[in-house]
Amino acid sequence: MGQQTVSADVLCVGGGIAGLMAAIRAAEMGAKVVVVEKADTSRSGAAATGNDHFRCYIPEVHGDDVQPFVEMSMNANMGNPRSAGYHRTFLSKSFDIVKLWDSYGIPMKPLGKWEFTGQALPGRPRLALKYAGQNQKVILTREALKRGVQIVNRVMAFDLLTDGGGINGAVGISTREDKIIHFLAKAVFLGTGRCVRLYPSPTPGWMFNRAECPANTGDGRAMACRAGAELTNMEMPQSWAGPRNFSRNGKGTWIGVVRNPEGKPVGPFVSQPDRLHGDMAANLFPTLFGEFERNNQGPLYMDCHGMSKEDYDYMLWGLRNEGNTALINHLQEEGIDLQRDAVEFMTYELTTRGGIKYGEGGETSLPGLYAAGDEYFAGIATAATFGYIAGENAARFAKEREAAEQANLRADTEKRIELLKAAASRKIGANWQEANIALNQIMQHYIGATLAQPMLEAGLTNLRRLRQKAAASLISRNQHELTHCLEVLNLMDIGEIMFTAALARQESRGEFRRSDYPFTNPLLNNKELACKMVENRFVAEWKEIKK
Amino acid sequence: MPPVINEEKCIVCGKCAEICPQDVFFGSENNQVPVISYPEECWHCGACTLDCPAEGAIRLRIPLPLMLSYKALPH
Repeated sequence: MGQQTVSADVLCVGGGIAGLMAAIRAAEMGAKVVVVEKADTSRSGAAATGNDHFRCYIPEVHGDDVQPFVEMSMNANMGNPRSAGYHRTFLSKSFDIVKLWDSYGIPMKPLGKWEFTGQALPGRPRLALKYAGQNQKVILTREALKRGVQIVNRVMAFDLLTDGGGINGAVGISTREDKIIHFLAKAVFLGTGRCVRLYPSPTPGWMFNRAECPANTGDGRAMACRAGAELTNMEMPQSWAGPRNFSRNGKGTWIGVVRNPEGKPVGPFVSQPDRLHGDMAANLFPTLFGEFERNNQGPLYMDCHGMSKEDYDYMLWGLRNEGNTALINHLQEEGIDLQRDAVEFMTYELTTRGGIKYGEGGETSLPGLYAAGDEYFAGIATAATFGYIAGENAARFAKEREAAEQANLRADTEKRIELLKAAASRKIGANWQEANIALNQIMQHYIGATLAQPMLEAGLTNLRRLRQKAAASLISRNQHELTHCLEVLNLMDIGEIMFTAALARQESRGEFRRSDYPFTNPLLNNKELACKMVENRFVAEWKEIKK
Repeated sequence: MPPVINEEKCIVCGKCAEICPQDVFFGSENNQVPVISYPEECWHCGACTLDCPAEGAIRLRIPLPLMLSYKALPH
């Protein structure tokens, strides 16, 4: 295995929206910045082929008082349990970020004015700015390079370098060449996206049919937790919804009505396609499609009939910008016309809603470690905003700090590298698919829709056993497969953390349902479960939520 | 299996292999028609078709399990 060392003031792990914005800002602050990206920053991750809505508060549109919007965000189902300060910081800064993106050449005003459509409840203010983001990552990559950022594509960082509590960089492998890379840095930013391949995909035997980028495997959460950082709300489930079989996010861009087989609207919000609001039933209750099917009241359809030709064209344009180009092309190839045909929607598989606990400055529980975006339940606008803020803070932190002279690997990191070398030289054993499918099987069976202690305990035991067996038997034929081995090991850590936290939350709350604790315990209202690693075991502890 | 390259129209620029988020083109060589080593790992995101500079050189074939479920409306 070849070896290389790369030095930086600020290292951004993951070149998504958050990572590129952090890199851009840190470089503007004078820091030497390196971005390490598993794929290629111009088309990687959840935002690879675009987004069409950017949540933001624009005073000239929404009025001068931000407070009602802070309260609205706190009460939105996706807002909790973030603090008021988090929401206020985001909303107050969001228009600056919109203007920055527009100046970079991302069309934030593609129709000539600030236009807010979709993702809104009738009678409430609309915060989703319609924009044309199909090439947003190509543009952000160009802006980062302009500012002297060094982008290292096709390298998967898998562990943080730590030294007596400080963060000194990260270590990764090339996904294409037999090479290990040590990144020495004074501050590290994590923005590696969500945990996508934890549960089985909706299609049996088709691992990569996913609403979100299947290369996003919780790498940031796993490496942060192993390095001593806190994760939060990892037991909280999340599932998305969209077209049946062709898993794709972007439901908020559809201009239709969610209807039952008799044609009756299912949600309370709209009864005709409504360009200004969309049907928030799909957004607010993504699990309703699965629930209706289980109760023999399905299937449910996204029904766009009755819309004007102008709205139809607007929707297709929006869906292309939302990253749904392949889906739109497929509809056309199949002769499916959304003005005549209603597409069945479904609830997609589970994942965790939790992640790395980061504050409104992008700071984590470890000094020198920053995170944003989908490292914890977010979205494109918060990824861009807190990425930018975190990049600034990481650059400031780096200025006050001496660089480490060499990479000191922790014992568990050394062990992981030995595991990789063994997998690369072993001839007979388990390929990464076996390990990933076995993990999916455990997650689906033991930590699915309804939870209870004996199932969780059995699942955790099985998962730990699987991890040991996988560690001793994984094989890979090349760097591509070795990368997948590392991803699966990260996903197994995420799974173990989820089981640990789910066992600790002895109540039901929101979508988290314990059949053995069906009540919501009011004594836990202002608390959250912090997950961290103590003596090589993941533990979950209750903590007060700071307001 | 997706993606499908038309070798006659491919200008061997390597763009698809450079940008694919899943690296399904792993093992492709410079100045040669890209190889599709891991077709089952395609996410059908369409990045390759968006960025390919040669008209008609690459397309996605959507596999049968991803077939949309829909119904014609009575209206």
